[in-house]
Amino acid sequence: MVLALRLASVAAFLLAWEWAARVPISFNFPSPGATLVALAALVTSGALLDATATSARSLLLGFGAAALLGVPLGLLMGVVRPVGRVARIYVDLLIALPTAALIPLVILSFGISILSSAVIVFVFSAPFVTMNAYGGVRDVRPRLLEMARAFGASWGQLVGRVVLPSALPMILAGLRYGLSRAFVGLLVAELLLSPFGLGKLIMTSRSMFEHDRMFATVLWTLLLAGAVLAGLGRVERRLLRWRA
Amino acid sequence: MTGAGADRQFGVAGLGAVAGLLAAWEIVGRLDVSLFVPPVSGIARVWWGLLADGTLPGAAASSLLSLVKGFVPAAVLGVAVGLAMGRFATVRLLLDGWVNALMSAPLSALVPVLIALFGVRDTVVAATVFMFSFFVVVVNTTTGVRATERSLVDMARLFGAGELALFGRIYLPSALPAVMLGLRLGAVQAVKGMVVGEMLISLVGLGERLIYYGNTFLILELYAVIGSVLLLALLISQAAQTLDRALVRWR
Amino acid sequence: MARVMAAPAAASRAPASLEIVVDGVSKAFGAMPALVDVSVRVGAGEFLSLIGPSGCGKTTLLKAIAGLQPVDRGRILVGPREVRGPGPECSMVFQDFALLPWSTVQRNVEFGLLLRGVAAAERAAVAGRAIAKVGLDGFEQAYPAQLSGGMQQRVGLARALAVRPQILLMDEPFASIDEQTRRLFQDDLLALWSEERATVVFVTHSMEEAVYLSDRVVVLSPRPGRVHRVLDVPLPRPREASDVRASVGFTRLVDELWKILRKLQ
Ligand SMILES: Nc1ncnc2c1ncn2[C@@H]1O[C@H](COP(=O)(O)OP(=O)(O)OP(=O)(O)O)[C@@H](O)[C@H]1O
Ligand SMILES: [Mg+2]
Repeated sequence: MVLALRLASVAAFLLAWEWAARVPISFNFPSPGATLVALAALVTSGALLDATATSARSLLLGFGAAALLGVPLGLLMGVVRPVGRVARIYVDLLIALPTAALIPLVILSFGISILSSAVIVFVFSAPFVTMNAYGGVRDVRPRLLEMARAFGASWGQLVGRVVLPSALPMILAGLRYGLSRAFVGLLVAELLLSPFGLGKLIMTSRSMFEHDRMFATVLWTLLLAGAVLAGLGRVERRLLRWRA
Repeated sequence: MTGAGADRQFGVAGLGAVAGLLAAWEIVGRLDVSLFVPPVSGIARVWWGLLADGTLPGAAASSLLSLVKGFVPAAVLGVAVGLAMGRFATVRLLLDGWVNALMSAPLSALVPVLIALFGVRDTVVAATVFMFSFFVVVVNTTTGVRATERSLVDMARLFGAGELALFGRIYLPSALPAVMLGLRLGAVQAVKGMVVGEMLISLVGLGERLIYYGNTFLILELYAVIGSVLLLALLISQAAQTLDRALVRWR
Repeated sequence: MARVMAAPAAASRAPASLEIVVDGVSKAFGAMPALVDVSVRVGAGEFLSLIGPSGCGKTTLLKAIAGLQPVDRGRILVGPREVRGPGPECSMVFQDFALLPWSTVQRNVEFGLLLRGVAAAERAAVAGRAIAKVGLDGFEQAYPAQLSGGMQQRVGLARALAVRPQILLMDEPFASIDEQTRRLFQDDLLALWSEERATVVFVTHSMEEAVYLSDRVVVLSPRPGRVHRVLDVPLPRPREASDVRASVGFTRLVDELWKILRKLQ
């Protein structure tokens, strides 16, 4: 029953798409079939995989930096309270503000390069990663800390055996959310910068009116991001088995 | 986890922090360390000029119009869909896969698709605003409805409430704090969508100014527009928060 | 707070009470049975208590009588009506209060009347009286979050009484009230009941309370709930005036109930 409904909703979506392509809402609108054919062609020609590899470099560079800097910074903010109270204001601002506005500045500073898109990815994802790590530490149950202190835990043991494990779920959730923001930043950067990766493929297809190729690349991008995020979600659940 | 810190008040500490940042910036700017850190006073002067000659007000008006055209439908439809998903398991099963997937998807990739559909027009910006904000509203509304206490529903049914009364008197008020949170996070997302959409079509609004000043290397003007965008985002987020406080007093 | 629940206004006529028949009722949640073949007859105007270990299905039975919980087997009659859904005869005091957190005390108490289509002016007057009855005058404009657990429970009580039910279902209504207030409440409930003559089904974990209030006490077995024993309480009424608690009969009945319950554990 549940499965039937879910399948029905996917089928309904494909039908709606097919219908929209036939009507035609806009002559720029390829059918699902045409999109799949274009996708297959893009995969076999290698163009799509090349673009994906390029995009993956910016993503890994930017998000890796966000994770490696953001988590320790968040932990520091949580453990050393005065640092947290000040730093969180800036992190909060970065979360609430449309960071895309900073992109022209990044491009001016770093030029049109992979580094630019990596920096943009970093700016998009790092605040969320940091804020969650901070929140995770701040929300450690005081009772647990008292218990550990009562058993004579040292400061190192306190952080390693109580604070980190209890903050882990929040940290992981922050990494997953940060990664989804990283994808958003990556695409904005590449669509604006154009000469790299999936964004370039999308933009050149568009400018050459190859809308089936453009749709195929967009579809691929969304599926890829979905798959990566789902994979991370699975890793997260494995690491947090004790919560079940 | 739908938006981490976005739901917090910036308040006095926030103002202090921003003032501190600006002061430090001014000092570094005066020392002429880098081309990219011009003194704040210089930016302020240019900002005032752009304000006076109508550049910023014009761009901001266009931006706000797109924002309203995208966010109002997203809010109305988002709450409606969220209520339906929260109340009816069938609707939920039909839609929750899509909503969860699209909620975390890089929807910026869809902007070129929107351009293919609508052409290079400000409709694309409104549509981007809609995409960016709709799903947060849906998810939070659904969560709110589903968290309604069973015993409240029982109580209302005991006194003869029908489906309509249950909706209006139990589910909706009970979900209201979550709905408001969704709308607040949605408003923040909407501003992000607005900027992304405008930058990508590069035709109208503050986003177009960002691209233009970036391309023409007018650093002071670029900073002035960035500052305006940030200010606008802060004002909208504060307005949403004030509205929330006013509506959900019983907490 | 000498008299917590004053007698209702003399003008309003007492509703005729109704009999409840629970006939061979079974109910399972998924694979887990909660009630098995439960049959109880509650006479019109009778005060009946349900007692039994936690999780034995007392709340489930009460909700089934209220028409909030469909049963798998058997049937329930409230007066001449077979229960298929909530009806206008029943009112209920919920175990977890079930107050609307976004509404004031006044509006919470009015809520049942509102849903039953009573006009605003009458609603306000009736609710005002009910609030006075439970001793919450002065708190009309407070929100539930500003009240103690016991006060919240009294709001739930006032709301249940405001609709003047013929059947009053009470799910551990005094559980979160301190012992002194609880005794006052018990007396006032008895006074009220003897005037209104509603049929009462009262769930409690307290043996003294069950014996003190009831005409009969139904003991349910541990999960799944079955009727284990029915204990008659032939103590004279009105009990609130005389010193029933000190009587030998009272102590003996409580002791008997304890022996039954102890063997159940
Ligand atoms: N909606 C439900 N879904 C699944 N199981 C339920 C539901 N309601 C009750 N149960 C189960 O049915 C059994 C009886 O529950 P019920 O609430 O009637 O017990 P109770 O006698 O009122 O307990 P207590 O004295 O703790 O209030 C319990 O095992 C409970 O877990
Ligand atoms: Mg119970």
